[in-house]
Amino acid sequence: MHPNSDPARLSKWALLVSSVLSIVFLAAAAIRENVAAEWKGVQREYKTILLAKSADAVARRRAEAFSIEIRQVTVPALKVVDRCVSCHNGIEDGRMADQSQPHRTHSQELLKWHPVAKFGCTTCHQGQGLALTFNDAKGEEAFWDYPLLPAALTEATCATCHDPRALSRGSAAKLVRGMELFDVKGCASCHKIEGKGGSLGPALDNVGLKTKHQFMRAHLSGSQTTWNWHSEHLRDPGGLVPGTKMPSVGLTAAEREALTVYILSLRKRDLPEAYLANDKIEEKYAKLHPAAPKGEALYAKYCSHCHDTGLYARWSKNFKRFIPAIRNQAFLRLEDDECLAENILEGRPGTEMPGWGPKAGGLREAEIQAIVEYLRGETKFTALPPAPARGSAERGHRLFTMNCAGCHGVGGKNGFAPALANAVFQKAATDAFIAETIRNGRGNTPMPSFGRAGLGQQEIGDLLAYIRSLAQPVRQARSYGRAPERDQVAGSEER
Amino acid sequence: MADTREFIQNLKDTPRNLRASWLRLGKPPQSDRERSQATFHNFFLHLQSVRVHRNSLRFAYSLGLGLILTASFVVLTITGILLMVYYKPSTELAYNSIKDIHYVVPAGRFIRNIHRWSAHLMVFAVFLHMARVFYTGSYKKPREFNWLIGLALLVLTLALSFTGYLLPWDQLAFWAITIGANIANSPREVTDALGITRWFDMGGFQKQLLLGATYVGEEALIRFYVLHIVLLPLLCGAFMGLHFWRVRKDGGLSRDLTKDAPPASVLGRSMHVFQTSPSKTYGLMAIVRGRTPAVGRGPDGTVPSWPNLLWAYGAALMFTVAVSLGLSLLSDAPLKEMANPAIPENPAKAPWYFLGLQELVSYSAFMGGVGIPTIVLLGLALIPYLDRDPRGTGQWFGGPEGRRVAWKSALFGLASVISLLVFTVQLGWLRDWYPKIPQLMITAVNPGTVIVGIYMAWSLWVVKRTGSPRLAAIALFTCFQMGFVVLTLMGTVFRGPNWQFYWWPSQWPVH
Repeated sequence: MHPNSDPARLSKWALLVSSVLSIVFLAAAAIRENVAAEWKGVQREYKTILLAKSADAVARRRAEAFSIEIRQVTVPALKVVDRCVSCHNGIEDGRMADQSQPHRTHSQELLKWHPVAKFGCTTCHQGQGLALTFNDAKGEEAFWDYPLLPAALTEATCATCHDPRALSRGSAAKLVRGMELFDVKGCASCHKIEGKGGSLGPALDNVGLKTKHQFMRAHLSGSQTTWNWHSEHLRDPGGLVPGTKMPSVGLTAAEREALTVYILSLRKRDLPEAYLANDKIEEKYAKLHPAAPKGEALYAKYCSHCHDTGLYARWSKNFKRFIPAIRNQAFLRLEDDECLAENILEGRPGTEMPGWGPKAGGLREAEIQAIVEYLRGETKFTALPPAPARGSAERGHRLFTMNCAGCHGVGGKNGFAPALANAVFQKAATDAFIAETIRNGRGNTPMPSFGRAGLGQQEIGDLLAYIRSLAQPVRQARSYGRAPERDQVAGSEER
Repeated sequence: MADTREFIQNLKDTPRNLRASWLRLGKPPQSDRERSQATFHNFFLHLQSVRVHRNSLRFAYSLGLGLILTASFVVLTITGILLMVYYKPSTELAYNSIKDIHYVVPAGRFIRNIHRWSAHLMVFAVFLHMARVFYTGSYKKPREFNWLIGLALLVLTLALSFTGYLLPWDQLAFWAITIGANIANSPREVTDALGITRWFDMGGFQKQLLLGATYVGEEALIRFYVLHIVLLPLLCGAFMGLHFWRVRKDGGLSRDLTKDAPPASVLGRSMHVFQTSPSKTYGLMAIVRGRTPAVGRGPDGTVPSWPNLLWAYGAALMFTVAVSLGLSLLSDAPLKEMANPAIPENPAKAPWYFLGLQELVSYSAFMGGVGIPTIVLLGLALIPYLDRDPRGTGQWFGGPEGRRVAWKSALFGLASVISLLVFTVQLGWLRDWYPKIPQLMITAVNPGTVIVGIYMAWSLWVVKRTGSPRLAAIALFTCFQMGFVVLTLMGTVFRGPNWQFYWWPSQWPVH
């Protein structure tokens, strides 16, 4: 540097350039925020529409008084601040019915019951109410947990305050259809809602409020929303969640949509009393005071998904084993009501069959009794011929390996026929029942008659001894509906 | 009557007198004498000396980094105060108040962006500033203590940035601070392995102190807020004042004192060189100990601070402002979903400047979170006391030999850290080969400690070859810089869910 050159030359240039740049950036930011803002453009457009539509001087004055400003609906009770009305200005104005979005008016019928000031927008539609651009408000691309529900799925939020079945015809048709499908397709066989249902799948109480991050989306292509996930998952569960036990239910596209709406409607929100519709309160009351249970409906809801009609043993691809035919006459003749109830109550630990008692599947005793009655139908329990005396477990072991292990599995477990090394089975089944089943087989199931195949009384006795050695019967503190002297009446074990 | 007239006259003159009392000099200073007065008659300007050496004004020497740091601190203070007007430090309200700042507060989004970008700029500049001071040997006597103050400012800057990270209360914030708190908890790795956690739980104490609880919640938010807006800025401001004052006391910016001074003339006039005479009594300025710009030397190559230094101040301030504004226009400060302890981010990442540490933490929490940072900070603090050789001060790398060593060390540092990372990613580490190995072994021997060992060995080899602690220090510092850059990149770009290696974030599986 020359000693006499201006030492501040570089600084001066840097100051000039960065000051000019700063002013440019500030101007750009000011324009972006004050002139180019999306909502301002929308409001200017709306004002011209208002002016065009004003028929008389009063309307015209009102239109001219329409100021360009951020508008918001605040509902403290619902913790809602919705700025949607900054763009949807005509939402409550009936004259705007012929306009396109965002100016168009909301369905007046719905707004009559749900004034914007009381409910806000996101209470029903979801989305990011705080946002002021459509993309952010929609929230699918933004970091927002509950993006705007597509119009086709908006019914999902009705159930938050209503019993959809009580709504006037068609207002929540898709949601009601979804609820029906949930029962008809036997979803409750595996999924609990409010404590009632099977335990193979996750409980669904609050699934509608789960965010997309709570679902496995590694194999989800297209829209990453929860509803797309549910729809795809209903179509092909294994495709989204490899190794899932959830079967493909076989639904049409419309049915999948209806069921998705129902799934999204499952949300636990703590709402102020004032927001609960009367029908919702009645629905809750009805749950507390249920009508007499109907066995057939309960069977359809909780049992049919696995047991199907229950008349034939059914091969399950998912479970890799046979599912017992529980309405099969051959079976019902051998098993009394107490034994049936015991099986429903406790389930079969170690197999996919869950317990359905009050503490497990959430069914009340009356409901279990109703199912037992439905299973029983017209078929009477016939007194069983007495079982042969238990013989040698060692000989029984050999016989078991030769005759039974092929289906029931070595040691009576891990086969594709019912597990015998099972505490509940050991408790529910009497010697007479087992002996009779070995002797005569079970019609309409793969269990053949070993009596006809040549097993005599003594060999059956040996098998009994072996089978009884496979597991200890479960010890319950309280045994449901069982007469204390039952074992003696069936009269097998004492001998 | 005369009193009234005088009163009216005074009233009339008040604007003029007000101006005169405020601006005192009355007009822009013309002579050197007036320039000097403009400087030392002004509270804010008297921190700088009246004359400044030309070398201090050379951009290629200082890179303006100290000024940029000061400017970004000013920008951060102003935007921070504006943000405080709307920000609500509560877990219920914080997130929505940021949303409001973004969407409806006038210029709120822009101000928040500026705050975020100038914070990144400040962290970035503080690393560069340290490197500049190191490579020009500016930590040497008499500036050792200022180097320590600088280190304190480095730590304060990182702490300010880190505490600000939690305030938006979104997923990014929540999980980054969760990671940070677990790093504070990392001494447990050692105390657990020794089985003494029950009696001596350093990690648990640190975490508790930081969060006020065992999890990131309301208490943590308030603590971070208080740290971020009161305690740390005050400390930072105090240390900055100290730092500047010491710069002045230690004779301005460092420069090569062995170089021939330019002729003691300014704008063609020769200058009188002041020499102390033992028989005379002098004012305070003349007997200040050490090498002040004026004592015992001619004003060789100095120019008046007014206006030359002021131009530099203005340039640095406006440069910082322009960069922050430009970046703020291009890219918004992030705000993810509201914090939700039930949904862990995967990967949960700390702020970028801690991702090098997080990479080390992934090998050993204690070493990455406490051990190695302590070693590095101690090492940095010791540099001016281990390298007492005054030669090379004020020259980049202390001369051509230092430049060569720096280049070689950069290459060596890069090569060794990259090959170690490739090795670790490809083949794993001790735990993958010997699953039952005791944790203390891993704590002692992991890629982090190995790279520290390699760098130390390299520096020892340099000192053995050259016999110069200065060159060894350059070697070590350069290696650590390279390690820091590569590890930070590794943590930022190449680590995905479960801290697995990925070539690019777009390859991350959606979880």
